[in-house]
Amino acid sequence: MAVSDRARPTARFAQMLSAGAAAGLPLVSFAFILGIWSAVGLSGVVNEAIFPAPWSVWSATVEMWQNGTLQKDLAKSLGRAGTGFAIGATLGVVLGLLTGRVALVRTLLNPFLNLLRPIPAIALVPVAIVWFGIGEGSKYFVVSYTVFLTVWFNTHHGMEYVPDIYMRASRSLGASRLREFVTVVLPAAAPHIFAGIRLGVALAFLSLVAAELSGASSGIGFRLQEARQYVRTDRMFSLLIILGILGAVTDLIVHRIGKKLVHWEQG
Amino acid sequence: MTEPQTGRVEIDDLVIRFKGKQGPVTALERTRHVLEPGTFTALIGPSGCGKSTLMNAIAGFVTPAEGQVRLDGQTITGPSSDVGVIFQQYALFPWFTALSNVRYGLKQFGLSKREEIDRARAALAEVGLEAHADKYPQQLSGGMKQRVAIARTFAVGPKVLLMDEPFGALDAQTRLIMHDLLLDIWRKHRATVLFVTHDVDEALLLADHVQVMSHAPGRLIRHYPLTQPRPRALSRSGNELLEIREEILGLLHPKSTHADPLI
Repeated sequence: MAVSDRARPTARFAQMLSAGAAAGLPLVSFAFILGIWSAVGLSGVVNEAIFPAPWSVWSATVEMWQNGTLQKDLAKSLGRAGTGFAIGATLGVVLGLLTGRVALVRTLLNPFLNLLRPIPAIALVPVAIVWFGIGEGSKYFVVSYTVFLTVWFNTHHGMEYVPDIYMRASRSLGASRLREFVTVVLPAAAPHIFAGIRLGVALAFLSLVAAELSGASSGIGFRLQEARQYVRTDRMFSLLIILGILGAVTDLIVHRIGKKLVHWEQG
Repeated sequence: MTEPQTGRVEIDDLVIRFKGKQGPVTALERTRHVLEPGTFTALIGPSGCGKSTLMNAIAGFVTPAEGQVRLDGQTITGPSSDVGVIFQQYALFPWFTALSNVRYGLKQFGLSKREEIDRARAALAEVGLEAHADKYPQQLSGGMKQRVAIARTFAVGPKVLLMDEPFGALDAQTRLIMHDLLLDIWRKHRATVLFVTHDVDEALLLADHVQVMSHAPGRLIRHYPLTQPRPRALSRSGNELLEIREEILGLLHPKSTHADPLI
């Protein structure tokens, strides 16, 4: 949102330059690490089968792409993460609004939900497999459960920190409770809800891979596990890097959307 | 202009207590008072004396431990648009533009969208902000924010207007401008005003009645009716205002050179 930008053209150009440099800065870091990695590969001091060089990882990536498994696995994993996230985030927001707003629901559920929060997603995988089998159900369950708890927790706290003065202003302006909820309580809690959703996106990937590592027949996590059986460290590295890029890009997208939607939050 | 018939606030043996760590704490001692329709009362007292508590009770934000507050004979049980409130921290909704902030209060009347926008624009024009209707509160100065808040509150036509140190966060120059603006709008709308402040000069410049409160737990200890025509200035309104000023300062700081006439 541009607030009457009075910067002179030269100053603006300097600004753009420094912004461009700031955006390019991570590339310096990547190039630096890639350089060291290549040097290690060229020196031949480490066993290529244990620690593959960058070019081996690249050719493993091309290989997986050409035989089509990479696209299939990506689609499978993204579908699972997306579905699980959608279920978990929806439930999390709805229940967070309820526990934040309705004392009875809060009394009944909060202590229990807080007890569930420290349980790691991986610990749930065995239960999920018994309940939902080795197919899609168990993946959806693990992902949505993890996302749900985080999104619920943040939504609930966002609701708790709705400033009292907004409620007072709203009520002395004669607003109905419904309008107050939709146009005051929700926007006031929105920054917290979005923080929860952003965390939820990151956790969706983490918990999905945990679920795919044991008891799956497709997906990035499964392919990692399979690569272990054939001692294909080049494939493992490739898959790990893809997971990293995927997580970073989705986080960036979610962050951008959040900034647009809660535009009033930044100073 | 006809004298308003509505907006009579009766504070009837009101006592406010809060839960403290060692049992209930009295924030407001038994208070009995009437604000006549269309009057402008300034409430002044030391910090923490219960000025805001009394205001919050009239706004319906806190429940009385004893007694009650009535507006035109009806007991106040909670906030309503009959009692408008202006907060020191403005309390504008940052996700709405200035215009949407004003429209928020107008929604209850079920106007057509056209009419709602027209009325909101008129209210902003009244405080001189028609050119800033589409700005967000973060893009406005403190004085402009408080203008939006005043426009938002007057737009719903409250019978009573409560102001809790509304200009306390503004610089001296802006504060003077806001005084003139407030008196202008009040003359047009004629709500019963209760204005909480800790600034004696502000109270003397604005009010028909100045009520002085004691240290906590608060009670009203002194009343000064002021009949000097507005706009007032402390230097040219004669010695009377300056004498009252000295007296009030003496009441607020009894340990200074002034003798406390109440002890």
